[in-house]
Amino acid sequence: MGVCGGRLCAPLGRTVAAVLFGFLALVGCGPGGNVVTRLGPTGGTPVEGGTVTMALPPAATPNWIFPIGAPGYLAGYNSAIQNLLFLPLYLPEKKGDALTMDSPRGLAEPPRYSDGNKTVTITLKKGYRWSDGKPVTTRDVKFWFDLIQHNKQEWAGYSPGLMPDDVKKFEITGDRTFRLRLDRAYNPAWFTANELQDVVALPVHAWNPGHEGPKKTFARLMRHARRFSRFATDPLWKTVNGPWTVEKWTTSGQVSLTPNKKYRGPDTPHLDRVILKPFTTADSEFNVLRAGGVDYGYIPPSVMARSAAFKQLGYRIDPWEGWAVTYIVLNYHHPAAGPLLRQSYLRQALQHLIDQKAISRVIWHGSAAPTLGPVPASLLHGEPYPYDPERARTLLAAHGWSERDGVLRCVRPGGGAGECGTGVRRGRELRFSLLSQSGSTETANTMQAIKSEFGKAGIALDIRQQPLNTVLGTTVPCKRTEPLCAQWQLGFFGTQGSWYFPPDPSGEKIFATNAPSNMGSWSDRHTDRLIRATEYSDDPTALCDYGREVARRLPVLWTPNPAYQVSVIRNDLRGVDQNPTLTLAPQDWYFVTADGRKGGAGA
Amino acid sequence: MTTLALDATPGPARRTLAAFAGNKLALTGALVLLALLAFCFLGPLIHPTDQIHTDLSQTNLAPGAGHPLGTTDLGYDMLGRLMHGGRTSLEVGLAAGVLATLFGTVYGAVAGYFGGWADAAMMRVTDAALAIPALFLLVVVATIVTPSKPVLILVIASVAWLSPARLVRGEALALRGRDYLHAMRLMGGGGGRAVFRHILPNAVGTVMVNATFQIADAILYVAYLSFLGLSLPPPAADWGSMLSAGITYTQVGHWWLIFPPGLAIVLVVAAFHCIGDGLRDAFDVRLENLGRS
Repeated sequence: MGVCGGRLCAPLGRTVAAVLFGFLALVGCGPGGNVVTRLGPTGGTPVEGGTVTMALPPAATPNWIFPIGAPGYLAGYNSAIQNLLFLPLYLPEKKGDALTMDSPRGLAEPPRYSDGNKTVTITLKKGYRWSDGKPVTTRDVKFWFDLIQHNKQEWAGYSPGLMPDDVKKFEITGDRTFRLRLDRAYNPAWFTANELQDVVALPVHAWNPGHEGPKKTFARLMRHARRFSRFATDPLWKTVNGPWTVEKWTTSGQVSLTPNKKYRGPDTPHLDRVILKPFTTADSEFNVLRAGGVDYGYIPPSVMARSAAFKQLGYRIDPWEGWAVTYIVLNYHHPAAGPLLRQSYLRQALQHLIDQKAISRVIWHGSAAPTLGPVPASLLHGEPYPYDPERARTLLAAHGWSERDGVLRCVRPGGGAGECGTGVRRGRELRFSLLSQSGSTETANTMQAIKSEFGKAGIALDIRQQPLNTVLGTTVPCKRTEPLCAQWQLGFFGTQGSWYFPPDPSGEKIFATNAPSNMGSWSDRHTDRLIRATEYSDDPTALCDYGREVARRLPVLWTPNPAYQVSVIRNDLRGVDQNPTLTLAPQDWYFVTADGRKGGAGA
Repeated sequence: MTTLALDATPGPARRTLAAFAGNKLALTGALVLLALLAFCFLGPLIHPTDQIHTDLSQTNLAPGAGHPLGTTDLGYDMLGRLMHGGRTSLEVGLAAGVLATLFGTVYGAVAGYFGGWADAAMMRVTDAALAIPALFLLVVVATIVTPSKPVLILVIASVAWLSPARLVRGEALALRGRDYLHAMRLMGGGGGRAVFRHILPNAVGTVMVNATFQIADAILYVAYLSFLGLSLPPPAADWGSMLSAGITYTQVGHWWLIFPPGLAIVLVVAAFHCIGDGLRDAFDVRLENLGRS
């Protein structure tokens, strides 16, 4: 019987075809592609109109439109979209190396502090209207305040003692001016940056025409906010005061925005449409980018060395550095892992096992930098717990841990010196599970490198990867008795940075007791005192003291902080300002052409 | 004389084996499979490597001394990783293929032999399951549960049993009207005896041929799932996840991360297909007769 005898040809043919297809696919994986524009990063004549498709981060699905965020819906892309629809009173603006709060995009004039910094008077800018033609007034701001005041436990931005607790009285003095009476004197810079940045006007005439109470109204609005398949069609979300309106919002997370024709701010959009496109992984985004499917995307750090190929195709490469820190969250309320994680020597040992410099250099290809503490590195004195596996082993051995079958076990239980610590029983294995976000090769490799180092020291780490929204929805602050609390021990959601600082990088929202983004439920009186000092005092050392102490106490495990993304932008798309606080301003984007005629891609 | 002549006639098993041995491509497939099994399970004894711990000082090294196939982006020796990953692919693929074949065979035989409403109900279940795209189902299930070897085996087998079920059901329908089955029933034989003593042994050729294709498909399913990021958690590896990880570095020319696992997948699937086709020819009485005429 010959090779092609009988029915043999079919499977053999399929195999040969598969080999050829695979080979051709691999050959086709070169940096080839179509030239998207012959224009360079400068020059050309601006034109109005066009559509820009921007890639969302890997595994990111926008799922919240209501400007009052609920726990589990705090992803940066959600708030970036909300700010385009509902204008905050104050927005951060990068000026040189500093961040200021006097962005011209904000809805209000700069706040005026009086009465020894216990009263703040705010005036809304003239001429702003809702998309249904009604003017934006102080009653719209009061509506927001009433909603959060009466439903603060449901607001993800709530932190006890802060907004709205720190406002004793909200006084309307006119259609455009209101006054906040505060419960004490505050550091004006901190209050504007970290408290007033949450304030937003909401259309009371459209959202509460029946004058219902704030609790009932909030419950109704939250019901609408959870139906994200209807974000584009629900009349509730049609009344906006920002430069954009929602045209489409699919359940897969693709969002299409069109200009708000009634917008009268200083930054009216130039484009016809902006499409925010979701991707499950960075690699899938990269493939679409190479095929010319997105105008504003990003490349994985692994291909940064070949960025020149993209320049030849008509793109510019622009790393987007975030104002952020990155860390692994520790769940102190987990029934089994909590007693272990509360031991400071153990946290120090774990931190000593994370080789941030090597991970930044090798796995992130230099696009990440070690995180040293909860504030920018310039405010800190070096790294308190540098990579030192030997020191980690010594710490663990000195506290009653001994290795058996490759895993450390507690042999000296108890809360005294040289013992494992309170709540850790004899024979307890040093084993943790880590819930990490999926979609990024670099994150997966970082976690694998950490697992490997932990393993060498006798600490078992089981890694489970899930999409970002799942991780954000699971790693939320919880009480010890809640079933959800038993679902995660360590969590990581920092592929593009775990925490983006407010313009004043204090810690009232991440490390203060019961803070909304204190996912692991860290609670420490000394930390709380230092955080309060940053809120009340304008002494610059307060922030340094807080930063150094938290860096030393290790409420979380610091990991390399990656750039938000290495952006790849079409050369003919201009006006893109990559704000380190990750706000988007597509109203400033515009196309240029060689001859000033509308046309080309995106038109 | 008669006795001598009967003794000289080889039995069906021997005839099948002889026909298989005469098929060069099937033999090549079997040899390739044996070589791959030896590579994956005996190779680590000759080329021992650490496939548990990463080594960030040895990442993405090109093939050379000490690392014949280079190193991965986490510093694992690529040759050792290929052996390590091959174990997972082969173990899961073989187990899932065999499990799917066993279940599907019994299911199809029962449906075909008993016929009537039992056949109609059982086959509608099969039709409904066939209507759901297997890859979609696999991705959904693998997203819900954390992948492990037993989970992967069960998940893949749960979509792969449909094909043998339909095939064996057809065989059972053809066999149930044979005289020897009527005779068995007249002598008081029950349904169980009919299925397990008569139908299944007579369908063994079809089942064995199908099993080889099932195993090949199961190995591909493992690769699909891993390529989509639904593989076993690290440091475990399989050829699909290795290929997926390597694709990231296509742009920077790290070919040694892509071609070895890709080639291994192609080789093992082709080997199973060749064996399956050889078995089919060996079991096929008509081809055997054609060969003699």
